[in-house]
Amino acid sequence: MKTIAKENVKELLKSWTKQYQVLVPTRTTQGDCIFDTFQEDTFTLDYKKPPLPPKSVFFPHNEVIFQVVKNEFREVVSANNTILFGIRSCDMMGLLQCASFMTRDRKDVYYSAKKDTAITAVMACPGPQNETCFCTTTFSGPVAKKGFDLLFYDMDDVFMIEAGSQQGKDLLSSGQFIDVDDTIAREKIEAFKKKAVQSIPLVDEVNEAMNRLEDGTADEKVWERFGRKCIVCGGCAFVCPTCTCFNVYDHESTPGSGMRARTWDACLYGGFTREASGHNPRSTQASRLKRRHEHKLLYYNKTDIQGSLCGCVGCGRCSDYCPVHIGTLEVVKEIAAK
Amino acid sequence: MTNSINEFEDADLFLVTGSNTTAQHPLIGSRIINAKERGAKLLLIDPREIQLAQFADLHLRQNIGTDVAVLNGMMNIIIEEELYDKEFVETRTEGFDQLKSVVSRYTPRVVEKISGIPAHDLETAARIYATADKAMIVYCMGITQHTTGTDNVKTCANLAMLTGHIGRPSTGVNPLRGQNNVQGACDMGALPNVYSGYQPVIDPAIKKKFEDAWGVQGLDDKVGLTITDMIIAARTGDIRALYIMGENPMMSDPDTSHIEHALSNLEFLVVQDIFLSETASRADVVLPAASFAEREGTYSNTERRVQLSKKALSPPGLARPDWEIVCEVSRLAGYAMNYRSPSDIMKEINALTPSYAGITYQRLEKCHGIQWPCPNEEHPGTPYLHRDRFSKGLGTFLPCDFKPLAEEPDEEYDFVLTTGRIYYHFHTGTMTRRVSILEREAPEPLIEINPDDAKRLGIRSNDMVELTSRRGSIKAKAEVTTRVPRRVVFSTFHFYEAPVNLLTNPAHDPVAKIPEYKGCAVKVRRCV
Repeated sequence: MKTIAKENVKELLKSWTKQYQVLVPTRTTQGDCIFDTFQEDTFTLDYKKPPLPPKSVFFPHNEVIFQVVKNEFREVVSANNTILFGIRSCDMMGLLQCASFMTRDRKDVYYSAKKDTAITAVMACPGPQNETCFCTTTFSGPVAKKGFDLLFYDMDDVFMIEAGSQQGKDLLSSGQFIDVDDTIAREKIEAFKKKAVQSIPLVDEVNEAMNRLEDGTADEKVWERFGRKCIVCGGCAFVCPTCTCFNVYDHESTPGSGMRARTWDACLYGGFTREASGHNPRSTQASRLKRRHEHKLLYYNKTDIQGSLCGCVGCGRCSDYCPVHIGTLEVVKEIAAK
Repeated sequence: MTNSINEFEDADLFLVTGSNTTAQHPLIGSRIINAKERGAKLLLIDPREIQLAQFADLHLRQNIGTDVAVLNGMMNIIIEEELYDKEFVETRTEGFDQLKSVVSRYTPRVVEKISGIPAHDLETAARIYATADKAMIVYCMGITQHTTGTDNVKTCANLAMLTGHIGRPSTGVNPLRGQNNVQGACDMGALPNVYSGYQPVIDPAIKKKFEDAWGVQGLDDKVGLTITDMIIAARTGDIRALYIMGENPMMSDPDTSHIEHALSNLEFLVVQDIFLSETASRADVVLPAASFAEREGTYSNTERRVQLSKKALSPPGLARPDWEIVCEVSRLAGYAMNYRSPSDIMKEINALTPSYAGITYQRLEKCHGIQWPCPNEEHPGTPYLHRDRFSKGLGTFLPCDFKPLAEEPDEEYDFVLTTGRIYYHFHTGTMTRRVSILEREAPEPLIEINPDDAKRLGIRSNDMVELTSRRGSIKAKAEVTTRVPRRVVFSTFHFYEAPVNLLTNPAHDPVAKIPEYKGCAVKVRRCV
């Protein structure tokens, strides 16, 4: 097993920038934390749950698929060699779920080009990052079980690092890391995991709600109550690590030239399911909310969930950011209570 | 707003009128919904059954244009039942006797006749507003876009002062500003009568201050023209050239045929915008501007918060930030403006505008904005206004009498058309109609009509209907819905396919000159 002193992490990241685009937790001048390209003066290790998951690295908010210039067609598949440093375990599971969905039946080349060349360095959580974390319930944290190339454990003034792939091992072979006895490391890691898991309370209502949705005993009125107050911003889908819906559109810049692009979409928008006739099988906001949450808790694909509990990875962001408090936590609690 | 957005969290009661808050200010709307869930009360005064109606403890659906009567009626009851704040009225206000005498004519029965609101409901509304501890009035264009817009605003202020519901946290009068920087544009003196920070152009000392700062003599000390006046002057030939920035009057101003005539009468029209709008396509010269993401600068939002926005992209083609274009035009016209950056301009704003004196670039870099008034660099900003005194000293009651719509329905034009906006589009659609998802959500104009009227006229949802006013006519699909009351139709000005301002009445408020977008007479028929 390898370790690195915290004070040397900046140098490590700097050395990676020679070969990779390195995305790291970054402190903005206003004090917020985002993931952005490594810069010495804005990089920070003092961060909690980043407001946005890293899905946009592989699935940009807006992405050109092909361009037409003077009637000539050109496909656009872009990728950088990216290292994602410091992502959370729930987000690692989110990436695994997205990657499965994007390649299961048919390979999404635009997504895969970016995902296949990326390296993920996960930062294990020593405890809940805020009050909405419930990864222990969804089996997606606080420590990543798979998918990562590197996994960092915070051991006060050093990080202990586990490799999860050959690429990870290769990165660890540089002289910047110090060897540590495997047995001692394992013991420390087990203690870290035990403490972390114990500190994140289980949310029994998730399982209870899933059971009720499964056997059809969930109260339908729950959706009406939530549907009444939803302001249809779509924010829950945009902050969700596992939401992958997109819409495709064409833009003509001049006659004979233009582009086709895709852009994030959300199933909470009425037009998402409206048919050409004008008929909408999900005609109310209540039915759209129901569908969204059932997709996460009931109708998920068994392959896509990658060994976690369901289509939700327990990051709690929808509960953090929904302006009217319709997050997964609020929804499962309401279903379980009725 | 006299309050801050965060203060919605602690209010006990919201009186929302003329604001479809969840559609037009959704994040503020969401705070009202959350407040309802923690037990706050909501009093809604709006002719339409908007989303907030589902949360309202009481929804008063007044006849369009009767706001002064309704609010006077509430004050009548509050005074009759001695529910007003006597201490506040005595120590903070003047003109109470005059108010009392005017509102005494607006008994619940009289108001019921004018507004259609049952007397009993009005009494309930008056009592819950007057007896609330922390009450916020929230209003928007439904109050202002009337020939009585100024009267409506004064009457809201009268009601708040009468009950002492102003000058405290979570207690005040809150006009919601509709654009990210309309507050900032006003603050910067983009008005005909003031310099930045509302310093009057007619004040010789202020004039001198700006002449000294800009190194010029003879700045105009007369009040200029509003948009409404400019259009009239263009038509009569008193104005020969117009320079329009970021505005699309061909879609947004009332009585479009009239606007078209006025613009074509100009000798020279310059339009500065980010897209070739309906107005820009008529211009002699189009100056392409950079969009918000392509430039740096500050925005002042609805709660008076000045926020710094950084450049994320380079402008396409020949587009440049507005300030650069204005500086260049000025230089070519013979007066060199020597600003190197937006922060240079901000330094001048700080020096010349007392309410912005402490809002420096250096401070804005490090925070999420500062609320004016902020008189110096040590000042933290002002979350709510009128704490111990009004800026003029005592607050003067300015009672108003009810005046009807400039154009009331009659036998031929038997519906009231009220116009507004929907959630998915912004104004004349120059930006939002280019966004694929928004266009999918709301691809075409709709005309809302009540089921009773629809049945009588043989109209079903999605039928094409024609609306005709004395000024023009448009065709669009019908949406049969109880959202609108009987004898009222609603549509929006987002769609060039059915530009609703062909129909609206250019009659305007005598003071603010704002047109009566919220009510004009039309007739409705189903297209065959």
